[in-house]
Amino acid sequence: MTNLKRILKPAVAAAALSAMISPALAEETVHIAGWGAKSGPLRSFGVNSEAVLKAAVKEVNDSGGIMLADGTKAKLEYTYYDSACNAEQAISVARKVASESSALIGIGPTCSGAAAAMFGVFQKTVGDDTDTGLQFPILTDTAVRNGLAKISQWTFRNTPNEPDMYDKLFAWVAKTYPDLKTIYGGTETDQGHSNGTYSKVIVQASKRHGFDWATGDIEGVTGDLGSGSAEVLTSSSNWLMADTNFSVQARAFKKSNADIYVISSHPFTTCGMLKELKRRRAEPKLLIGLTSSSSAEVMKGCAEAAEGMIIPTSFAPITPAAEKVAMLANENGGDADLHSAAAWENVMIIKQVIESVGIDNTPESLMADRRKIRDGLEMLEQTQGLIGEVQRVQDEGEALKPYVFVQAMNGMWTVIHDPRATN
Amino acid sequence: MAIDFIDVVQAIIDGLLFGSTYALIGLGFTLIFGAMHKLNLAYAASAIAGAYVGLAVILMSGLPIVLTFVLGPVAGGFIGFGVYITCFRYMPATNMLAPLMASIGALFFIDEIIIHATAGSPLAFPAVMDDVFLEVGEYGFRGDLIFVLVTSLIAMLVLLYVLFGTRLGLATRAVSQQVVAAELCGIASHRTNATTFAITGVLGGLAGCMAAAAVGVISPLLTVPITVKGLIVTVIGGLGSIPGAIVAGFAVGGFENLFLLLFGVNQRDIYVFLLLFVFLVFRPNGLFGKAINRD
Repeated sequence: MTNLKRILKPAVAAAALSAMISPALAEETVHIAGWGAKSGPLRSFGVNSEAVLKAAVKEVNDSGGIMLADGTKAKLEYTYYDSACNAEQAISVARKVASESSALIGIGPTCSGAAAAMFGVFQKTVGDDTDTGLQFPILTDTAVRNGLAKISQWTFRNTPNEPDMYDKLFAWVAKTYPDLKTIYGGTETDQGHSNGTYSKVIVQASKRHGFDWATGDIEGVTGDLGSGSAEVLTSSSNWLMADTNFSVQARAFKKSNADIYVISSHPFTTCGMLKELKRRRAEPKLLIGLTSSSSAEVMKGCAEAAEGMIIPTSFAPITPAAEKVAMLANENGGDADLHSAAAWENVMIIKQVIESVGIDNTPESLMADRRKIRDGLEMLEQTQGLIGEVQRVQDEGEALKPYVFVQAMNGMWTVIHDPRATN
Repeated sequence: MAIDFIDVVQAIIDGLLFGSTYALIGLGFTLIFGAMHKLNLAYAASAIAGAYVGLAVILMSGLPIVLTFVLGPVAGGFIGFGVYITCFRYMPATNMLAPLMASIGALFFIDEIIIHATAGSPLAFPAVMDDVFLEVGEYGFRGDLIFVLVTSLIAMLVLLYVLFGTRLGLATRAVSQQVVAAELCGIASHRTNATTFAITGVLGGLAGCMAAAAVGVISPLLTVPITVKGLIVTVIGGLGSIPGAIVAGFAVGGFENLFLLLFGVNQRDIYVFLLLFVFLVFRPNGLFGKAINRD
C-alpha cells in the first residue's frame, strides 16, 4: 500500500498541475459551423463538402490561424452537422447553431431547396427589431438556384451565376457548332434547382442564341429569363428524382429529332436517362447537362453513356490551387466539384473577413462579432476563388464566379473552353 | 408532342416489361403476408441491399459480372433472414403493430447503411443484353428488359414449384393457414417462417438486381419507390395472392407508363394512386384476394 501511495502521489500532483495550467496554455479558437447532407440519398454532397471544409480549416491553422482584433492568433475549429438536404432539418440545424453554439458563421446547406426554406427563418433586414428571425451570418457553399441570397440580409452565397453560365454556353455552342439548330429536353420536376434552371434559364438561353425548340415554338418563351417557364415544362419530357423507368421520355427525345438534348437533373436520373437514350439509339449531335451533374457521381454511374455531355461548372482542377484542393479532398475521402470546392473558398473568405473587421471572440461579444462578420461580407467586392477572381454582388449577397465548360471524355470531365479567354 | 397509336402501344410494352420487377417485389410482400399475416415494409430495402452486396462482392473480387445476379439473391436471402430475426421472430404475437413498425425502422436502417457505405452515390449496375434492341415493325423491345422479364418469370415458376411441389412449400402453406394446427402436425412454425423470409429475400435480391439492371444504375433512391410500387401491387393483386401479385405487377407497370405518356410525370402517380384507391373501395380483396383468403 505504501508503495502504491508513493507512485500515485506524484501522478495525482502532476495531473492537478496540468489541469491548472492547461487553460492558460490552451489556444484560442474561432468556431464556425458547416452543414450539409450527411445522410439521405444526397449524402455525397455532405461527404464532399466536409472533406473540403476539413482541408481548408487545416490549411488556415497550418498557416498560423486567424488574427483577432487584439492582434492574437486563434485556431479555426468547425463542427459539421447533418441537414440531409431537407428543408425542415436545415432550419432545425440553423436554429440550433445560431442559438446554442458559439459558431460565428455557418457554411451550408448545399441544396437549393433546403437553403430557400432555411433562409426564410433569418432576419430579413438587418437591424429590424420587429423581425425576430435568426441573426446569424450564412455563407452557402452551393445552393445554385437563382437569387436565393436576396431572401435575407444575413444570407450570402458563393455560388456561380447560372443564367450567365448558360447564356455564355449557348453563345459558344452557336458559334462552335453552327450546324446545330434544334433543341429538346427534360428535367426532374420535383427538384427545385433542376426544374428552375431548366424551365427559367436554360431553354430561354437557347432561344436567345437562335436555337429552335424541336417540336415547335414554346408559347411565351422569348429569351428573357423565366419567360414561358410553365409552358417549357409542358413542352418537355420530364421525370422525377427517384424514377426508375425512362422509356417514355427517351422515346419522346428520340422522336423530337433534335440536334441538342438538354438533361437537367441530378446524377442518378441523369444516368438513368442517358442510359435509356443510349439503349433507344437516340443519338443527338450534342448533349447539355445541369451544373450539378458535372461531378464524379455521373462518371461512377454512367461514364460511357455521358460521353460528350457538356456542362458549365465553376470548379475544375485547372489552376495549382484547384489541383491542390482536388487532391486534399480525395485525401479526406471526398471529391472536389462544383458543390464542394466552394467550401474551401468560403473558409478563406471567412478568414479574410474576420481579419479585416476584427473580432473579440469572447462569449460576450458573440452577437456583435456575428454582426461584424455579416457587415464584412456585405462590404466584400472581390475574393480569390480557386479558378480565378470572384466578384461579389454587394447588395444581393451573391457572387459572380468564374466558370469553364467541361465535357465528359473517356470517363473524365475535361475542360474544353474557358469563357474568360474570349471576354 | 402529338401522341400516336404507336406511342401508346410502345409505352404499354415498356411498362409491362418493366412491370416484371414490380411483380417480383409484390410477390415478396404477398408471400410474407400470406405466411405470417404481417407486412414486411423492409422488403424492398432488403432487395436493393442484396443487389448492392452482390455488386460489391463482384467489384472487389473480380468475379465475372454476370454473377451479380447470383450473389445478389444470395445476399438478399441472408438479409431477409436477418429482418425476420430482428423484426418478427421475437415480437409479441399479440401486438400486430410491433413488427410493422420494426420493419419500417429496418427499411430506413438498411437504407441509411447503403447511403453511408456508398455516400449516396449512384453506381453503374451491369445489365445483360443491354446493347440489344429488338425492332418488330414500328415497335421496339429492350433486350435487357426481355432478360429481366424472362428471369422474373423463371423465378416465379421456381417459387410456385417450391410452394406447391415441395415439403417446404407444404409446411409454409400449412403455417399460413393455421399455425397451431401446423405445429400439432409437427411443423416447426418459426423455422418455416424463417425459411419463407430467406426465400422471399432471395426473390427480393433478384428483384433488386433486376430493377437496378433495368435502370442501369443502382442508388439508395430506388428503395422507397420500389417499396411503394410493391405495396400497390400487393393490394391490387390481393394481399396474400401469388397470381394476383404477378398480374398486378405487370398491370401497374403498364398503366404507370401509359399514364406517364398521356398525362405527364406530374400527374402519373395521381392516376396510379387513383387506381389503388378504386381497388381499395370497390374491390378491397384485390384481383385474386378472395380465392386465396385464409380460413
